[in-house]
Amino acid sequence: MDTNRLSQGQLVAAIAAIALFIISFLPWFDISGAVTVGGTTIGGSKNFNLWQAENPLDIYLLIVILVALVPAALALLGDGGDAPMASMATALLAGIGTLLILYQIFDTPGDLDRKVGLFLGLIACAGIAVGGYLSMQEDVGGERY
Amino acid sequence: MGRLSQGQMIAAVGGIALLVAMFLPWVGINGPSLPSGAQLPGGIDTSTSENIWKGSSLDIYLLITGVVAILPALLAVTDSSEEFSFVSAATLLLGAVAVILVIAFLTVDFPDGADRKIGAFIGLGAAIVIAIGGFRAMQEEVAGEI
Repeated sequence: MDTNRLSQGQLVAAIAAIALFIISFLPWFDISGAVTVGGTTIGGSKNFNLWQAENPLDIYLLIVILVALVPAALALLGDGGDAPMASMATALLAGIGTLLILYQIFDTPGDLDRKVGLFLGLIACAGIAVGGYLSMQEDVGGERY
Repeated sequence: MGRLSQGQMIAAVGGIALLVAMFLPWVGINGPSLPSGAQLPGGIDTSTSENIWKGSSLDIYLLITGVVAILPALLAVTDSSEEFSFVSAATLLLGAVAVILVIAFLTVDFPDGADRKIGAFIGLGAAIVIAIGGFRAMQEEVAGEI
């Protein structure tokens, strides 16, 4: 596998996409509560990763990951044909994904608390967007369109 | 408006329909069932419905999709000379992803025990129209370049 076949932007987007996939299994949200019965307080909490929270964000971010990884995989496998508009699609979808995660940070669904996965996911998704943008610049510079 | 291609017009109609559908009921929630024989006073209904703005991050995404779909029409109406070369491709992409997300919302992500309301189906149809409009606009752009 020759990573020199990947452009810098594709490499950044692919690494960030793999990171986002791993991060999706970390806790993103947490719900906690406590009850007092006869002077004794019983509390508990439950973590949710991206896939467990009932939220369309999981499907969307899976699409972002696939869109970022497929062009890199095709380049690594030596498929000569460029996926047309792949860089633009990566930058656009990941940029919107970053906005959606940011929105979740400020407007957490229900009574859920924010956990580390949400913040790491934001950084990884922003990384994919940056990689897509760099790849777009490289495409224009190399006159691949 | 004459500068708009057929694909851009289709996408714009879909975008407006999507933005309108977002304010229609998407999720119907029925209240607890009453004991047999019990009746509520007239005018009181235990069921309610919610549009897509309440409790889903789908709202922001669909808003962005609708705005991108009507962007070429807005620019034509305001006689702006700005042209974005990627708008048709972006419309196709966002519309196609919106179709997937709305279908996922209506199937796997739909709240338990709730009913699917008319707004959800109009929203799905509008997303499909946006994707078709974006695809057609891309084809027209390619044909215009040859």
